[in-house]
Amino acid sequence: MALSPKATLPISLLLLLLLHLPILFSTTVSGGEEEFSEELLLKPLPDRKLLTHFHFQSEAPITHDGSFATHHHLFPKAISQLVRKFHIKAMELSFTQGRWNYERWGGFDPISSSNAKPPGVELWAIFNVPPHQVDAYWKNLTHALSGLFCASINFLESSTSYSAPKWAFQSALGSLRYGTLPREAVCTENLTPWLKLLPCRDKAGLSALMDRPSIYRSFYHSQRLHLTSSSAGGDVLNSRIILEQTLTVVLQPNIPRAGMNYVSETNIQPSWSLSSIFGRKLNGRCVLAKSSTVYLQLERGLVTQLENLQKDTAVFSANDTGSGDFRRNVGFELSVNPSKVHTEMEKSYSILFEYPIKEYKDSEQFDLGLTWKHPLVWSSPHAPLYASRFLTGSGNERGAIAISLKSTESTQGFVATNNEERCKLQVDILQIVPWYIKVYYHTLQIFVDEKPQAVKDFVERMRVSPSEDKVSPGMMELVLKFPCETKSAVLNIDFDKGFLHIDEYPPDANQGFDIPSAIISFPEFHAGLRFSDNATSESPLLSKLQEKSHVLSYSEVLLVPLTTPDFSMPYNVITITCTVFALYFGSLLNVLRRRVGEEERLLKNKDANKGLLYLALTKLSAKLRGRSSESAQPLSPSSSSSSSKSSISPKLVLKVLLVAGIAVAWQYYSQ
Amino acid sequence: MAEEEISSDSPSSSQPNQENPQQTQMLESSSSEFDPKTMRNTKPGVKRLFLTFSVLLSFIIGFPFLWKSIEIYRTPLPFTQIESFSSRIESNPLHFPCQFQAVFVGFDIRVSHGEVGAEITRKMYEFSPNASRCGVCSNYDVSVVVDSSFGCVGKGDLRGSDEDADELVKNCLGNGAGGGKVYSIVVVNEEEDEVRAVVGKYRHAWIVGKVSEEEAVCRVAEIFAKVFVNGGNEGSSIREEFMPVGADGRIVLSFSLLNANPQDWIYDWNFHEIDETLLQPVIEALQPIANITVESQVLYHTPKSSFSYWDDKHGSHIFSTKDLPFFVNSNEWHLDTSVAAGGRSKVLQLVVYIPSAKECPLQLELPNGEISNTNGFISPMWGGVVVWNPPSCRKDLESNDPVSHVISPQDLQMIFEVLMGQLRQLLGLKSDNHYAGQSGTSVLLGSGRGFTEWELDVLSRKHICFNLHSCATTLGSLSRLVQSLPRMIIMDEIGKQVKFSLEAAKFAQSNASNGIYDASAVSSRHSRSLAEDAFFHPSIMSISYYSFEHCFAIYSPFFLPVSMHVVLAALREWKRYKQENRKYLAWKAKAKVTP
Repeated sequence: MALSPKATLPISLLLLLLLHLPILFSTTVSGGEEEFSEELLLKPLPDRKLLTHFHFQSEAPITHDGSFATHHHLFPKAISQLVRKFHIKAMELSFTQGRWNYERWGGFDPISSSNAKPPGVELWAIFNVPPHQVDAYWKNLTHALSGLFCASINFLESSTSYSAPKWAFQSALGSLRYGTLPREAVCTENLTPWLKLLPCRDKAGLSALMDRPSIYRSFYHSQRLHLTSSSAGGDVLNSRIILEQTLTVVLQPNIPRAGMNYVSETNIQPSWSLSSIFGRKLNGRCVLAKSSTVYLQLERGLVTQLENLQKDTAVFSANDTGSGDFRRNVGFELSVNPSKVHTEMEKSYSILFEYPIKEYKDSEQFDLGLTWKHPLVWSSPHAPLYASRFLTGSGNERGAIAISLKSTESTQGFVATNNEERCKLQVDILQIVPWYIKVYYHTLQIFVDEKPQAVKDFVERMRVSPSEDKVSPGMMELVLKFPCETKSAVLNIDFDKGFLHIDEYPPDANQGFDIPSAIISFPEFHAGLRFSDNATSESPLLSKLQEKSHVLSYSEVLLVPLTTPDFSMPYNVITITCTVFALYFGSLLNVLRRRVGEEERLLKNKDANKGLLYLALTKLSAKLRGRSSESAQPLSPSSSSSSSKSSISPKLVLKVLLVAGIAVAWQYYSQ
Repeated sequence: MAEEEISSDSPSSSQPNQENPQQTQMLESSSSEFDPKTMRNTKPGVKRLFLTFSVLLSFIIGFPFLWKSIEIYRTPLPFTQIESFSSRIESNPLHFPCQFQAVFVGFDIRVSHGEVGAEITRKMYEFSPNASRCGVCSNYDVSVVVDSSFGCVGKGDLRGSDEDADELVKNCLGNGAGGGKVYSIVVVNEEEDEVRAVVGKYRHAWIVGKVSEEEAVCRVAEIFAKVFVNGGNEGSSIREEFMPVGADGRIVLSFSLLNANPQDWIYDWNFHEIDETLLQPVIEALQPIANITVESQVLYHTPKSSFSYWDDKHGSHIFSTKDLPFFVNSNEWHLDTSVAAGGRSKVLQLVVYIPSAKECPLQLELPNGEISNTNGFISPMWGGVVVWNPPSCRKDLESNDPVSHVISPQDLQMIFEVLMGQLRQLLGLKSDNHYAGQSGTSVLLGSGRGFTEWELDVLSRKHICFNLHSCATTLGSLSRLVQSLPRMIIMDEIGKQVKFSLEAAKFAQSNASNGIYDASAVSSRHSRSLAEDAFFHPSIMSISYYSFEHCFAIYSPFFLPVSMHVVLAALREWKRYKQENRKYLAWKAKAKVTP
């Protein structure tokens, strides 16, 4: 015990300090723990699919005595070292496969506006460094992440692939960088390192459900990593780093053939259970998690439909339609009784069933199932405008990008009631185009309700940073304001297709080039659920759902075919040019060496006894053989044949030898 | 010249026309002996010959320019210097001069001090037959002091506690020998029979007891040669060439606490405390050798991948030494390389493994059937593992939620003592506290900093040696690579790095032979990292290597046909000129004969 006298001294000193500073004591204790929680949200979607949303959250205090990023208990060491090394204030990285269907799966709820992501990789980061260093930090960060997640995020290093938007995200005063890789293929090699950041990985708890074939067979899956550092009230001592890891999967539940004795089999929603969609049951929670919960959410539209159904059926009309009896109602049946039901404080409300996960024995595993009893049709809430983007024009020279915004009727009433006079709908658009798509920003046209309108009537603010060839992409940020009664709006902008250098083509150039998704956000609309009880604030997922985030949607990725050269062309050009030059040079040399008088004399001699045809032929052959005319020149017709033969044969031998020599030399050298 | 050419050529350009009248003239003037096939009466023209040859000549002259223009850029590397440097490092290892001092108290030595010194030196060479190994002292410089009453150390003074004696000897020698890097041994002849040899924390040792002169000389030589020079370990499993120090001179000590199954129990540790009290002194002590950073993490669900069996005799689960290669489960132990560490830092994993309930307690069985005291093992260049069994191996069956515990400070200190021992072994030192030699056992006094001064000397000697070795091999393979690919681009920067690396290596060598360890360590580290920088330069890594085939394919479509034309034209013109010249000469001879 040589340690104890040394160790107790600082502790007693600390105690002394703490006795004098009770405020400091409280802050260190509240910010001193590392926490982890795991949650799963299940939500039936209107088009017979099921949304599963895993939410893992790790928190760690940022202490400035050096123990952050060096000593950790639950928080992943790799991430904290990343934060510390690159001075990251906030960061989001998402890997997505498939496209979120805004029309069917909704665009006005927290999941769609914060977890629906563009296909491929999307990365943005805010750095806590002086503006001139941001680019350098970004480049290093892309490489570090690329190694950490086994993805080609390092392609975002080149300045042609990232940009610094100002308005689309929370204002970061120039220290934000944003980049996407639309063509990145996402697969299990990206998921494994992501799971490695969880304390239980996929060994226990909710993450044990992640069956790789089910996830990658899904219609849409997006794996996201979100880092924020929160400082409560600007207090440096109390700041915490929050790592939020979410996996959003849209699955099609298998329809069991047996046991379906309804006539309207096609109309009814497919019943599902955790074991039928993932092929596994839940064995227990991750013991390290502070909370481990499964939620089942019923959307507003679905709840309204259920209520209507309840009213229609006479049997259940007497019953209490309160939330307590939702396990066994007209519409569906749940296999497990929820421990708690949260309802929203709205006129049309959504319901959230809560299932806390505890340790289960082998005999009784947690397997939440939902069996539909009655066909129900509902629709998800939509964003105020439904955005889509497409290309117009044909050919390899020029085209136009069109962003079309269509009003969705479902929110029309909501908008109208919001504010009566001079109702305006604000839309922010961020469009980034690669430099080889040369956008002419002056050609921006706006059609409102299919009539061309002056741009300045609708554009509130506009920020354009034109692309620079091989240096930076073009970026356009627009803040538009439309009257609420607008039915549709189309933005059109022309572009020319540029030419790339031969090295700049990707391996599969003929496939075309991707234009990253445009981000369309509605800053006046907040997607957030409002639950009545305050107890929900303990759950990170519920507080996330209640957070007032902007409604945000991503447009499609566009595929632009560019003129792709024949990649052997440079060599062909070299070869043909060289051949022409060689021909020219050779004939020039021959002309210089030519003895015209000699040839003419020879021809005259030959003319005497030969016909015109023969003359032409000999002329041709003389030309071909180059010098045979001159060798034959001094000879008289009688002896010419024999001597020319004798003079040609060594020449032929010489030629053959020369070619053979070159071949031998070549063979020798190439070895 | 040109005019002359024209004048001489103008008739020849219309040769065939001319020749006929000439021939007729000939026939008329001279007799019928003039044969137009074999003779001519004018000099053959050289205009075409000159033309074709000038073209050929310009091609030949132009060729070197073309060759120069398509040449790729290669910085000249000092191949011969690299060669000689690595062969020098290979053949004659680095020699460090070391100074030794033996102090004999209470002896009655009749021979001169020099003779005693020579005897000790001779014995030392006997004790270290492999003195040619790199990183040891070779130039022994032994001085002997024989004193009946040496300064402050008298008889009986060194019989107290070892710590006090150590300080006492330090003070005495510090006054006497000027405090330089001199290894000294104080031999005190006493009446008591028990002979006690202690190696202190600094650069000295003392021997107390009733010893004869020969015995004393023998023991002094052994301690000098085996302990102070070699670090007290011979035949250790770790090869001398390996030092777990990154190319940038940094070590990251990554401590991981592995809970094999958190469903059974969860243990946490108060690492911060240990870091401050136990690790910081060690890190400071090792500062001259490497820049050490520490990080820790707790991992869960990390079962071992080898099997263990229940043994009734020991009352525990047993894993044997032959299972050790499979103990580390690289699939489940996500120990991770550190993001914070730079690219070429060395990460040493020090792992504390807490077994799950069904394999608790878990003990390591040594090949001789005994249970290991430390319950841990090391893997050279990777790190070490310690198995720590929770105090009670019974799982609390009532509660579903496992209770989380914190490892008690006493246990944690024990674990860290083992881990520090493992670190010493990883660096190539002994982890025992005694040294058993041929002439008796010596006690090695441990330092609170984990490493004593003489051990640090041994380490830094080895480190210098290792750095120079790896620098030599890296530069050697770089030069072989560069020479094997003749058309690889080599940037200026690589040339500079190689040059500076060689310079630093030379500097380190000269400093080492002068005995300036610190400067030598710094420059040897520098030389190694520069060599690695040059070898791993991104421009070498890239595949921008312009092959000869490529070059040939681009230039052959032009130069092959053109050079055929030029060469053939020159040949033909030369042949024709010779033929015509012969005709002319024949005519001349004929004309002379028949004037």
